[in-house]
Amino acid sequence: MNSLRVARAAARIRPSTFVAPLQRRSYADAVSDKIKLTLALPHQSIYKSTDVVQVNIPAESGEMGVLANHVPSIEQLKPGLVEIIEESGGSKQYFLSGGFAIVQPGSQLSINAVEGFPLDDFSADVLESLQASLK
Amino acid sequence: MAFAWKASGLTYNRYLAVAARVVRRSLKEQPRLQAERRGEMELRFAKWESGKQGENKSLAEVNAADMAEHAGKE
Repeated sequence: MNSLRVARAAARIRPSTFVAPLQRRSYADAVSDKIKLTLALPHQSIYKSTDVVQVNIPAESGEMGVLANHVPSIEQLKPGLVEIIEESGGSKQYFLSGGFAIVQPGSQLSINAVEGFPLDDFSADVLESLQASLK
Repeated sequence: MAFAWKASGLTYNRYLAVAARVVRRSLKEQPRLQAERRGEMELRFAKWESGKQGENKSLAEVNAADMAEHAGKE
């Protein structure tokens, strides 16, 4: 008699404990196709965890393009052009003097360099005279 | 992989400094004047022995001399 009551009580509890958690996906955890770019110089950060579409970097091992969900890696950079394709579709180019690009898990890319400037900041005349002085 | 900067006796730090200096020098007047101040380094050091200060030397000059001495040895 007593055991029957226990069994009945258990049967009553059971359904509520086995409610499956709601499998619902919100916009927040949908997989992003953007990569978070941080482009930092010792004296300034040009990008700070900004969502961008693609980043092309001049690695020592060759030119490479980095998209979202890239495999984590560390790349030494040659002095050269870094091209950033932004969310709006436009692209920006910076010339970096060399440093490191670190692709972290979770679509994060950190680029560190000593000096980096947009192309507009360079003067063609000065470059020509520098080149002439090397010869 | 053998790097050109390593073969010529530079440290990676020195190589980066040289590359950064070239970049700064190739800028237009306005950003260049601002940027070139960042490349300056005037650290000096002296060795103290038995309570007396030795010769006061510039770190940059001593580093350059050291690197010239070690160039091509590795």
